[in-house]
Amino acid sequence: MSTDQAQAAVPSPWWAVARSEEVTGQKPLAVDIGGQAVVLWRDKQDVARALEDRCPHRRAPLSLGCVRDNGWIQCGYHGWSYDGETGRLKEIPNLKDQQKFPPLYRAIAFGVYETGGFVRVNLDAKTPPPRVSAKTYRLNGTAHIGVDHQNYLDALFDDPGLVVDIKGVRFTPYLMSELVVQDGMLTMERSCEWASKIWPAPFSSDFLLTILSRTHPETGETDLILRDSDLAELLRVHLSPVPAARGVTAVRWRAELGERSPPLPHSLSWGAEPFSARSSVDAAALRVLKPSVSLRSGELRAVLKSQTPAQVA
Amino acid sequence: MLDAADRVTSASLALGKTPATAPMGDANTWIPHNIRMRDTWFPLAHSTGVRSKPVRRAVYSQPYYLWREDGKAIAAEFHPNERQSRPKSEFTFADGRYPVMEHYGFVWGWYGRPEAADPAHLPSLPFLPPKGGLPGYMIGTVRFDCAAPVSLENLIDLTHADFLHADVVGDEKSESEDIEVFFDTETVTMVRTCKAKSVAPVMKLFSGISAPVQDVRQVIRIYLRSHCAIAYGRFTPGDDVPLFHPCVPETRDRTRLDFAMNTSNASPLFRHIMPRASYKVSRQDSYMTSPQSPRYMVETTRRDLHSRFDAASQRYRVQMQTLAARQEAGDLDYKDNVSADCSDIIGLRKELFRY
Repeated sequence: MSTDQAQAAVPSPWWAVARSEEVTGQKPLAVDIGGQAVVLWRDKQDVARALEDRCPHRRAPLSLGCVRDNGWIQCGYHGWSYDGETGRLKEIPNLKDQQKFPPLYRAIAFGVYETGGFVRVNLDAKTPPPRVSAKTYRLNGTAHIGVDHQNYLDALFDDPGLVVDIKGVRFTPYLMSELVVQDGMLTMERSCEWASKIWPAPFSSDFLLTILSRTHPETGETDLILRDSDLAELLRVHLSPVPAARGVTAVRWRAELGERSPPLPHSLSWGAEPFSARSSVDAAALRVLKPSVSLRSGELRAVLKSQTPAQVA
Repeated sequence: MLDAADRVTSASLALGKTPATAPMGDANTWIPHNIRMRDTWFPLAHSTGVRSKPVRRAVYSQPYYLWREDGKAIAAEFHPNERQSRPKSEFTFADGRYPVMEHYGFVWGWYGRPEAADPAHLPSLPFLPPKGGLPGYMIGTVRFDCAAPVSLENLIDLTHADFLHADVVGDEKSESEDIEVFFDTETVTMVRTCKAKSVAPVMKLFSGISAPVQDVRQVIRIYLRSHCAIAYGRFTPGDDVPLFHPCVPETRDRTRLDFAMNTSNASPLFRHIMPRASYKVSRQDSYMTSPQSPRYMVETTRRDLHSRFDAASQRYRVQMQTLAARQEAGDLDYKDNVSADCSDIIGLRKELFRY
């Protein structure tokens, strides 16, 4: 199989564009995947639906409309209503009883899949959803940051502290395991220390914490696991950066504390939430951030892209 | 069932003429931002807004400075205090001034070949006093962050009003609804007749209408070149509400609307309130047309869908493109007379508007 054929065979990715709580049957939610505007809502059966956020009648955003009692989405401009599963036009207000429309009369429907507290969308509705179920972490949040998706992932690899924050934890530049491909995921482990520690990292003989990260090579969805020196899990995070419009990255995350609590005086559970995704970046620090892990990730992603899906798996 | 009506019901045909039109299919892929009409009068300001101090307006980004000298309206390409640092355009006479005239309470500036300016090309607005003089509460200004043709399409497409403006003009419920479209090379006119339509809330509240339904005849007449429109509603029971709705394309994607709603014949409360409804309605429209307009700036192979209720807006798109193409080919002549009294076409109750 040629490289081109292999790339053509790579399935379209599932993007975690919303947390489950954000998608409701009360009000449509506008998100985007790169330049593609998407509207999300829940139908009468509480199933999340996704259509192109563009009414095919006069191109108004469907997200400015409403969700009807029967679960259809209704454009706010002329009231055309669409079924979420197929995208087909179901009703035009003034047409009264003549509500039969040719198949052409439809909005573009996207694939939707919900697991682990995230609503995932695939721009190719024919892509089958992955057969995985994930635990839904209780803590969650959304941030939008003015860094494009690629630079966001590069920063996450080179200095996670620029884009995420774990309360009381400082990321160090020292890796316990450099970036490799494991089960199709870009995997690495970084040494961390408690932020209260005064002794500088370069002079530490041992680090009490590490953070294990597993990143999807295309979407950048990342699992972060903070562990202590006994390899006990202190915090688990699922981070989902999605390329949004105008070079913004939309970051949704869910987290939960591990079984073991950190020793006093350190605590991940006091006061503010233990994890947050930053909504702004220290641009001066980002500008001078040396690419290191990100160089390796670029190489590995290129290799993965040249492989068939079967080889990746 | 869903195809736009393309009936030959134009006033031109009634006169034995065959208007040149683009194929109806063009209606679904148009780029309104590319249209730039020439040789036409634009209503740049209310007469009351032009005084001795220059005010600035624009047509397709071309600057217009308006002021009065000895009470007479002046329209110039350069501000009187401006040091001329750019060459004069082709749109003004040698002295840098545009053809300008004052009528219906507006200052009209000519956009095009100055030597072609002719009062005969001023749109007919029979419900406005020719010398102006409507009270201040009947006039106002609203702006739209969209292309002028997008705003005019919004106006001529009345089904959106039942939905987007239901809290002002009432919902879509009626016993029957009929839409007719008339057109010639310079105008498109839509007549919508509804029997037993839900009474407009604004009339219930301020015009004292207690009946649950009313018959409605709404006319939208668009003068293609000048981007001027008449919106004339006759409500029974109720009032006659004629609105002058000019959409001046100050830039390709921004529109200025200096409106005049002649409610002189309405009940005293409604007379004052109804023109103010324009501010609410325009914001509701803008909520949709602002995000809608940029989506028409780029070429796409995807065709807009339409229903038979879009016959008027489809026809408007076609006629605009036809006229623009004709102008592009160098034919700037008027094939139909826009200044001929349109009272009968819009069904104006002349007894209410004698000037």
